[in-house]
Amino acid sequence: MIAQIGLSILLGGIMIYAWAEYSRAPAIGLIAMLVAAAGLYFVWLPKHATWLAAQAGVGRGVDLILYVWVAINLLVILNLHLKLRTQMELITALAREIAIVNARSPSTMR
Amino acid sequence: MVAGPLRSIWLVVAAYNEAAVINVVVADLIKCGHTVVVVDDGSTDGTGAIARAMGVIIVPHPVNLGQGAALQTGIEFALRHGADYIVTFDADGQHRACDVDVLIEGLLKNNADFALGSRFLGASVAMPLSRRLLLKAATWFTRATTGLHITDTHNGLRAMTRRGASKIILRQNRMAHASELLHEIARSGLRYIEVPVTIQYSIYSLAKGQRLADSLKVLMDLAAQRLHR
Repeated sequence: MIAQIGLSILLGGIMIYAWAEYSRAPAIGLIAMLVAAAGLYFVWLPKHATWLAAQAGVGRGVDLILYVWVAINLLVILNLHLKLRTQMELITALAREIAIVNARSPSTMR
Repeated sequence: MVAGPLRSIWLVVAAYNEAAVINVVVADLIKCGHTVVVVDDGSTDGTGAIARAMGVIIVPHPVNLGQGAALQTGIEFALRHGADYIVTFDADGQHRACDVDVLIEGLLKNNADFALGSRFLGASVAMPLSRRLLLKAATWFTRATTGLHITDTHNGLRAMTRRGASKIILRQNRMAHASELLHEIARSGLRYIEVPVTIQYSIYSLAKGQRLADSLKVLMDLAAQRLHR
């Protein structure tokens, strides 16, 4: 029960994070929300997870939950990568303005 | 700041650590009689100083951002100063300055907004087979993803009208900008043509050119861009 509550809090946090990210990265946000929702479902209905795991050839339900967790982590890493790209775009815009202001033509060099 | 009268055809050269060849490239472009802008992309080998000494406009990036970012800077700079036509030109000596006017003539004769240089319609001197195969694959991919009927891709020699350049916003700082630019052309719906040009490969330019690993990175960059707004 304690593990279920702990995992639920973590997955709930992921869902809130995914919801917040949805407006900026819709694909990432939606997939993360779906995966976190599936994780919550399996945490509280482990028999279903065990059944699905057997169907998928994973073995045990707890393994399936572990895989879901790994998938969420990969999505979070991808999202961080996208955030870094956004930061780079801002830096580029700033550097571009600095470059244009500092442009030197032959006439200004004399 | 830039002062004085500026001609309406602007040649934009994005340069990063090209001290070995920039003087030859700029000297050839000056002979064309158009305004030359060298975007020094944070070079550490004195590229900017060499070009500056030759009397062309220098737009210096404070840090190295990549060729795509440098070209976007040059295009924005030219547009802000009233350019009617903008030509992008590689700094590694692969292009011929005489092809600049061929591109501009192509725009005027065909009433087009973009003239894309094609080495496969023109000529490529000393192009290795591996590079030819890589470019053919990239061209096939670009045709499939943009719908543009082109014979060459990742050719840095291209011309555009002011209207065309205004539609281009390059967000890919590095090598993926060439594919992104073609996507932007397709998205703009404006008229484009291909013009035969000659690419002269050298040991120097091949060393600075793209490899298969770079192509994979280009694909990853393009995919990542589609995942966020």
